[in-house]
Amino acid sequence: MLTGYIDGLGLVFQLGTLLAIAGGTFLGIIMGVLPGLTSAMAIALLLPVTFGMPPVMGIGMLLGTLCGAGASGSIPAILLNIPGTPSSVATTFDGFPMAQKGEAGRALGLAIVASFFGGVASMVVLSLLAPPIAEFALRFGAAEYFSLSIFGLVIIASVAGKSLLKGLIAGLIGFFCSTIGTDPIAGVDRFTFGQLSLLTGINLLPALIGLFAVSQVLKDAFEYDPSNKLQNSPHKVDIARPRFIETLRNWRALLVGIVSGSVVGPVPGAGGSIASLVAYDQARRFSKTPEKFGKGHGAGIVSVESANNALLGGALIPTLALGIPGEAATAVLLGGLMIQGVTPGPMLFESQSGIIYGIFLAYLVANFFMLIIMCLGIKLFVRVLLVPRKQLISAIIVFCFIGVYGVDGDVFNLYIMLAFGLLGYFLNRYGFGTAPVILGLILGPIAESNLRRGLQTFGGDWTPFFTRPISVTFLVIACGLLALTLWQNYRTRQQDAAPDAA
Amino acid sequence: MESGLSSLLSVSIDFETSHLFFPRIIHWIMAGLFVLILMTKVAPFMASVKRGERTLPIVGEARDNFRFIGTLVLIAAYFYFMAVVGDMFPYTGYGFLLVSMVFVLLMSLLYLHDWTKKALTIVVVNAIVAPSLAWFVLAKLFTITLP
Repeated sequence: MLTGYIDGLGLVFQLGTLLAIAGGTFLGIIMGVLPGLTSAMAIALLLPVTFGMPPVMGIGMLLGTLCGAGASGSIPAILLNIPGTPSSVATTFDGFPMAQKGEAGRALGLAIVASFFGGVASMVVLSLLAPPIAEFALRFGAAEYFSLSIFGLVIIASVAGKSLLKGLIAGLIGFFCSTIGTDPIAGVDRFTFGQLSLLTGINLLPALIGLFAVSQVLKDAFEYDPSNKLQNSPHKVDIARPRFIETLRNWRALLVGIVSGSVVGPVPGAGGSIASLVAYDQARRFSKTPEKFGKGHGAGIVSVESANNALLGGALIPTLALGIPGEAATAVLLGGLMIQGVTPGPMLFESQSGIIYGIFLAYLVANFFMLIIMCLGIKLFVRVLLVPRKQLISAIIVFCFIGVYGVDGDVFNLYIMLAFGLLGYFLNRYGFGTAPVILGLILGPIAESNLRRGLQTFGGDWTPFFTRPISVTFLVIACGLLALTLWQNYRTRQQDAAPDAA
Repeated sequence: MESGLSSLLSVSIDFETSHLFFPRIIHWIMAGLFVLILMTKVAPFMASVKRGERTLPIVGEARDNFRFIGTLVLIAAYFYFMAVVGDMFPYTGYGFLLVSMVFVLLMSLLYLHDWTKKALTIVVVNAIVAPSLAWFVLAKLFTITLP
């Protein structure tokens, strides 16, 4: 482990890598500030820039983007009451009232420092938990991997869509798309319709960029309203001074945020908005002055922002240790890792330990850059909000194009991206969610090849999938979760119906 | 009895159709869920459309068709012409540069509301500068292959 860190240090502390991380963080902050541009989209758009870089440099840049976008959603949330990213929704509860009291700088200072502490703590959690989980995963056989992929899909389906049914359908669309192309066991092509480009299956990147970036552009085009212009914030902030002492004084909220983020993070599909809302709710419960929450209370901001960034490290645990992403942004990051020739999973910790520890350190460095850049550049980031939306639409499409074309120079992938963009637009519109599709696309090949390999190994007997202890644990938890979600839906429906009856 | 039980507990896959084993499972589950969603969501929705309480999605909605279809057509044309123009100047990235300039210009004009001289100037300058910058950084500095 120590040699891994020493190798990693050598990879991270090079001028090029540090510059790449700083650049990624800066661009991530800009993307996070703009409402509607999520961190998943930010990474998807930055992917092409990393193609020519060595793995740690490229992944470091993407981690910087993730870190920056995770923290900067708080800027419009505090100044304009508009969350820049879904995970900063809860920041508006206390951030905006504080800004209205004339303390916008204080709110930003607290948010930045809380994000920093959250990020650093989650890096510690990540570096402590990921290696043992990866080691444990070395015991996994075909049955376990199959059950794990079903478990991952069920979890994301139950939280990502507006209903369990819709989430499952979205996940299965992903599973279906993953079966297009050459079959992983027998090598026969399926559903390719004679298209040569489909023989290798649907590439992850066009699907990702289509679902997360193009769908957003289409939404903007579809629901375009020229009268909808963002007003400049009335709160003048030149520089946001980091508020270390005040943040530490709210240690209870900070701890609650870090724990909520770290616990929710590794759960596939849970996402930042859930982590931050859980943190806010818990911080209020643990607080001695819960009545102050929602009226510009520092602890509210600290809990939400620390949870936001603590989530990222947590989400990286299953991504790196098992190859199963925790949420949308890490799914895109997984795509980036694969393009870099780094296959996430338990073997990664054995074969490329320098890279993995380099990634941990790069994430730590990204948090420091986030702190510095956010504090110094706050004036610029507030101005970014004023860039007209229409100018962004075409620029985003140009970047999507480069991202997809840059992988292998195949024009067919561009049409795949457009098709996924349309699919993503309609899925989002009708509450199916796009994250399950991506997870289905990633987990589909794992599920299929392990199901068939398992059946071959066990001579056609499918009972080992239900009798091997680890495998059955995953399946039981998945079934339990399905039942729990159904029960919760039933309860909500009954509660909704009760007032009508009365 | 015993043979009946063991045949239930095992699966035999015909090699000829083995590649369709997993997709078939997915198709059947999807078909089941599709019927479920038809019954639980679509049927009540259509009933409320009939009663006139709600309108059909897409068809019954008011929207800016010109911009929506214009955006889709422009994006598809962008991808198509990129390859065509790119073939005229292979491996230089000029196809990307030229077609992107036209694309950004047309997209910005599509979303332009006040055709003032100032707005037009910004649109034209943006259409020239943004793709050039992207082309220089990506094709030259990061040596990414562009058409």
